[in-house]
Amino acid sequence: MVTLTTDVLVIGGGATGAGVAWDAALRGLEVVLVDRSDLAEGTSGRFHGLVHSGGRYAVKDPPAAEECVVENRVLRRIAADNIEDTGGFFVTTPWDDAGYADRFADACRATGIDCEEISPAQALREEPRLNPRVSRVFRVPDANIDVWKTVWSLARGARERGAHVMPYHAAVAVHRDGDEVTGARVRDMRTGEETDVRARVTVNAAGAWAGQIAELAGIEGVRILPGRGIMIAMNHRLVNTVINRCQMPTDGDILVPIRTVSVIGTTDEHTDDPDDHTVLQSEVDAMLDDGEKLVPGFRQARALRVWTGVRPLFEDAKAAETLTRDITRSHALLDHAQRDGVGGFLTITGGKLTTFRLMAEHTVDAACAQLGEPRACTTASEPLPGSETQRSYRLGERLERKEAHLREEQLICECEMVTRGALEEAIRRSRTANLDDIRRLLRLGMGPCQGGFCMYRAAGILHGLDGLGAEEANTALLEFLQERWKGIWPILYGDQLRQVRLDDWIFQGVLDVAHLSA
Amino acid sequence: MSTEAGSGLRDDELPGLLRGSLDHCVKCTICETACPVSNVTPLFPGPKYCGPQAERYRVADEPSVEWSVDYCSGCGICTQVCPQGVKIAEINAQARNKIKREHGVALRDRIITRPTVLGRLGTPVAPVANLSLRLRPARILAEKLLGVHREAPAPRFAGRRFSRWAKRHTSPRTGRKVVYFHGCGTEYYEPWEGEKVVALLEHNGFEVEVPKQDCCGLPLQSSGLFDDARRTVLRLARALAPFVRDDDTIIVGNATSCTLMLKREAREILGLADDPALKRVSERTWDICELLLDLHDRGELRTDFRPVNETIAYHAPCQQQGHFIGKPALDLLALIPGLEVREMTARCCGVAGTYGLKAEKYEIAMKAGDALFTQIRASGAPSVACDSETCRWQITHATGRPSVHPIDYLHRAYGL
Amino acid sequence: MRRELHFDAVVIGAGTAGLTAGARLAEAGARVAVLTKGVGSTHLAPGTVDVLGYAPERVSEPGRALEDLVRSRVDHPYALVGRGCVVEALQWFGERVAAGPFPGYRYVGGLERNHLLPTAIGALRPSALIPETMAAGDCAAGGASAARVCVVGVRALRDFHPALCAANLERAGVDARSVELNLALDRADQNALGVARRFDDPGWRAWFCAELSPHLRGEERVGLPAMLGSTDPHGVWSDLGRRLGRPVFEIPTLPPSVPGMRLFEVLRSSLRAAGGRLILGAEVVGAERSGERVSSVQAHAAGEERRYLARWVVLATGGFASGAIELDSRWVTRERVLGLPVRGAPGADEPRFVSTYLDEQPLARAGVAVTGDLRAEGVENVLVAGAALPGAAAWREGSGEGIALATGFRAAEVVSEAEGARAGQPGRSEAVV
Ligand SMILES: Cc1cc2nc3c(=O)[nH]c(=O)nc-3n(C[C@H](O)[C@H](O)[C@H](O)COP(=O)(O)OP(=O)(O)OC[C@H]3O[C@@H](n4cnc5c(N)ncnc54)[C@H](O)[C@@H]3O)c2cc1C
Ligand SMILES: Cc1cc2nc3c(=O)[nH]c(=O)nc-3n(C[C@H](O)[C@H](O)[C@H](O)COP(=O)(O)OP(=O)(O)OC[C@H]3O[C@@H](n4cnc5c(N)ncnc54)[C@H](O)[C@@H]3O)c2cc1C
Ligand code: SF4
Ligand code: SF4
Repeated sequence: MVTLTTDVLVIGGGATGAGVAWDAALRGLEVVLVDRSDLAEGTSGRFHGLVHSGGRYAVKDPPAAEECVVENRVLRRIAADNIEDTGGFFVTTPWDDAGYADRFADACRATGIDCEEISPAQALREEPRLNPRVSRVFRVPDANIDVWKTVWSLARGARERGAHVMPYHAAVAVHRDGDEVTGARVRDMRTGEETDVRARVTVNAAGAWAGQIAELAGIEGVRILPGRGIMIAMNHRLVNTVINRCQMPTDGDILVPIRTVSVIGTTDEHTDDPDDHTVLQSEVDAMLDDGEKLVPGFRQARALRVWTGVRPLFEDAKAAETLTRDITRSHALLDHAQRDGVGGFLTITGGKLTTFRLMAEHTVDAACAQLGEPRACTTASEPLPGSETQRSYRLGERLERKEAHLREEQLICECEMVTRGALEEAIRRSRTANLDDIRRLLRLGMGPCQGGFCMYRAAGILHGLDGLGAEEANTALLEFLQERWKGIWPILYGDQLRQVRLDDWIFQGVLDVAHLSA
Repeated sequence: MSTEAGSGLRDDELPGLLRGSLDHCVKCTICETACPVSNVTPLFPGPKYCGPQAERYRVADEPSVEWSVDYCSGCGICTQVCPQGVKIAEINAQARNKIKREHGVALRDRIITRPTVLGRLGTPVAPVANLSLRLRPARILAEKLLGVHREAPAPRFAGRRFSRWAKRHTSPRTGRKVVYFHGCGTEYYEPWEGEKVVALLEHNGFEVEVPKQDCCGLPLQSSGLFDDARRTVLRLARALAPFVRDDDTIIVGNATSCTLMLKREAREILGLADDPALKRVSERTWDICELLLDLHDRGELRTDFRPVNETIAYHAPCQQQGHFIGKPALDLLALIPGLEVREMTARCCGVAGTYGLKAEKYEIAMKAGDALFTQIRASGAPSVACDSETCRWQITHATGRPSVHPIDYLHRAYGL
Repeated sequence: MRRELHFDAVVIGAGTAGLTAGARLAEAGARVAVLTKGVGSTHLAPGTVDVLGYAPERVSEPGRALEDLVRSRVDHPYALVGRGCVVEALQWFGERVAAGPFPGYRYVGGLERNHLLPTAIGALRPSALIPETMAAGDCAAGGASAARVCVVGVRALRDFHPALCAANLERAGVDARSVELNLALDRADQNALGVARRFDDPGWRAWFCAELSPHLRGEERVGLPAMLGSTDPHGVWSDLGRRLGRPVFEIPTLPPSVPGMRLFEVLRSSLRAAGGRLILGAEVVGAERSGERVSSVQAHAAGEERRYLARWVVLATGGFASGAIELDSRWVTRERVLGLPVRGAPGADEPRFVSTYLDEQPLARAGVAVTGDLRAEGVENVLVAGAALPGAAAWREGSGEGIALATGFRAAEVVSEAEGARAGQPGRSEAVV
């Protein structure tokens, strides 16, 4: 077995774990980052896409709102390339408690949220598809964020500073040496090979799975109550501004325009298993009804894909008063030396994607304290790789780029405008033969035809590069088809069903992939 | 950003339904197979790309990031063949319009899109105007100054106006009224076509009324001058609407692209669906061949045709196909004894109104029409019938063969 | 005046089923209008007439398998028309191709045996009646040739990947290799039709063959993506065979489909030649009923909808793929054009889909409910043809074009028979259809 030695081992490659790796690497620490699957395959890659202005928490949870206000500004600086400044509206619909609006405005003032009331007529001019029956509208600085791009730039930045990033490596055992955690054994999920990682500090950033990792370390009572939420991506931008219902946070109350789609969400169903991705028809129905309230005609629009994410809601089974934990109400950082008398081990969970940087900062502060080497955090001012220019993302970018190279750059995925060059580079760089990983990396196959046209092309290109065998290319294609089906069939109606019929004919008729020789 | 008084519609607002139709696209590429422009030039990436695909990347308040959509000729074929109901050409038209608004409109486009102004200027001085349209130095100058291609087909001013003739002409009172919308082509360039239309209609028992009328605004619309186009078409609608108050009277036109403008494009592309006068006019407007074949199907068309022993090629222009009425001219011409008609299957002559006149588009338009020109030459037919005047000029320009409106043959066969 | 048009029969849809029904009816003397929203699947499908490819094991003798199917699945479209009708329809189609707009172009094969044609990814797809331009690709035992296949691609054509195709053919036991030519085309995103238009030009063909020839070895047969000419397929294909000195064949790939467009053109010109009308853009949006009959349909047109009155309506709208049958966001399945009942759709609380993509989906066989002679249930004068019919999961069976052709053909016959009987009645003097 190979052994790696490092200062910090981070278990979990979501936004939080990748943020910890980036932060620690910036502070000059040696880092190993592992995830049991691809980076951002956990909750981070399955969230709603919103950089909160804080408005959602203004009334219910002011400290959380204040954190959002700060982090929202920081992210726009350091992760500009991943963020689109859509702005957001909080709107009072006929279904909302009309009294909430005034409380909302007051709470925004109190928490420092940059909030301006505008007339419904003005809002409708800006968003013609918005429900004309809204009675109050507040403008807030919501934005959207491409989480995959963010997590990859965090990982890339960490790597450039010496970190070792290991996707598809699951922690299968956590090493204890008496009262010290000394690292973990990780298994390559593709080959089964195992590696020993020896670390001075181990950070459990496994989100909804953090309880499982704590258990591996022999620590009790780290209870995560996973809350499952569904989101549905609609085929195009029904709105260009984030639309929130102006009411106490509840289900189905936000419509987020992100990249080429708009996403309605979400729900909150308790589940015992963080890997539970059930989508109930009743949830789909509820989301569509909620969408209809924000944008009349929503049900006639085309639904592309549904997915679920699980919130890592932390509940400490140990009595609260015995804890010295860094408390904000939104996330939980457990220093197990203080909590359980076990050194070299930290758990960071809960929180929001919007505050991942802050969570990482607190975690690495605690790690430095354990190492006895206080080092200052610089993530609030250091731009992520790719965001150096601080120019924020615009939807038209891919169109503009293609336009500039109309005759030279071949489009492989037409819907999401992924070029052959970008695809080949991604395959080479990520050394993956998994088209679903490439999907997240480039948005390949994420548009209306859901890979109907690009997956054969991509399989052909994959096969051509690096002498990958036909068998692996076939597998990549078939796995992709199965993977996308998971996100399609629960919301399959209307236009998307026409698409699926055409795709069925392409794959099962023209190509006859069901009868490729085994 | 201007607001059109009559429409209450903002110039930059893509009517929701049009944009929403992109949701029906299944990426099948059928539109791409039929687009006459993208098939001949790599400068235009085609209807699927510029329409439903690019539209997902367009944000109303952000500046346009692409130019290539300006190469779309607006012929509308893509929308016709799309099996899923995507309003591709209409989406493109909006995107072009946005580019025009951001970057201004060329002087050339302001001039060639106003046939009424051109006609009024040209008609009294027709010999001089026609000469200068044919003189090479003048054309070169026009290309340099205005960007009108020196080779582009230019019609001749007739030197007289159809409406003058119509004013003097009295239609026999039969009580079965029809309103004739003649369009600018007939008014200034081919007044004899209008006279034939009137004769045909009268021969079949109609009393023809010719109201005072003006341009339909199509050239303005297809060049992206939406505000002006809206004003123009609404003015025309107001002029025609009073004549079709009752349910029996209809409007008939021989300028197939202008009737299409009235029937559909003004309502869909310019977003004027709700204007009551336009709606009325739009529903009551018929293409001349549509009407005649309809009469025939009811057994009401006179068939006292004399033989015309000729072979002709028939081309149904894109705008005629946009009526969604099939090719009535084919079935009408088939009624004429002795006349052998060869149907051309190539879809487009390339000119698309004023597109093929523009210096930077002329070559493309000629290439786009090449499949048609080749078919016409191969057909062995010495002359061509086609429903649209600009297409006829282009066909004659490219093939050297004379071209006429299909009703010319009916007129001859009736011996009128 | 109102826009009202009178026909003997109105066909809705211009895919294989609708055009076949329309052409047959017109040939029988009926006044026919084919109303269509747009063109159909012909432009997308390989252009082969697959009768039955899998049942569910791979079928090598489609005629025999068809007989079994007709017996065992009484709800299958083939069971409604019978084997004899399939034979006649194929025969009729073959003649129309021969008389069609492409000189020399023909289809080969029939119900005796399936060809095994390489797909663009290198699987072997069974098909009964195929364009001559694909015949040399047959890899069935006893097929055209056992010579090695050389799969040739053009890098600029993103829709065809010769190396993967050849590698998979090898895995299927076919001796195969590949060549990819790096020819400059004037654009990055070229589709098969764009290349086909170049092949129309003899000069380009000569140049292409000169580029390719040095790469060919021995007794190979040459497989190219289906793009051999847009106007004269027989001429282009024969010319390539001559120039390369080897058998050449087309391999269908992603849409648009060049051979499929030829199939469309064959059927369209048959319709036209027989005097039928084709009206593009005329989406049918409603119908009027009188009792058990549909008396007219309303179709979209510029300006104002048009009413088409007809004694017969053939519904060949293509089913779910065209949106003519829809599952809406409230999970209701309906036929949207004439409001006819749908058969075979899972009930409100039954699963419509299953979670494994390649398994048969419960919704797959839903279609417009019909009686034994293709008549829509509850309506005397509406016949249903093609993919709108229930009972088949055609993409799994490899039976799409076969069903469309045979049922379109049969629908026309049902009309002709009924009109014949009607005209035979005393006191009737209307034209015999
Ligand atoms: C439905 C939903 C919508 C949301 N929307 C928003 C929003 O709009 N805005 C916002 O700010 N926040 C939102 N959130 C919250 C936000 O998504 C999460 O708080 C955040 O993504 C958590 O990131 P994480 O890195 O802590 O966890 P995760 O992203 O879940 O990362 C944990 C990682 O640990 C890995 N892992 C698990 N077990 C092992 C093991 N044994 N070995 C190695 N690795 C392991 C997993 O694969 C996973 O990648 C939403 C949450 C949900 C559920
Ligand atoms: C990509 C692809 C690959 C295929 N591959 C194969 C194959 O390998 N083998 C095989 O056997 N088959 C294949 N097929 C299937 C085969 O092409 C179809 O099953 C067959 O063509 C169905 O024909 P159809 O005429 O019933 O319907 P379609 O071809 O779908 O035609 C339907 C027509 O109805 C029109 N329409 C719909 N609604 C309306 C309305 N309201 N008003 C007016 N018109 C309307 C449409 O515009 C269209 O013209 C494939 C199909 C596709 C799409
Ligand atoms: S024809 Fe229609 S559905 Fe097909 S690609 Fe074009 S727009 Fe999309
Ligand atoms: S309108 Fe004509 S030129 Fe423009 S994209 Fe459509 S088919 Fe092509």
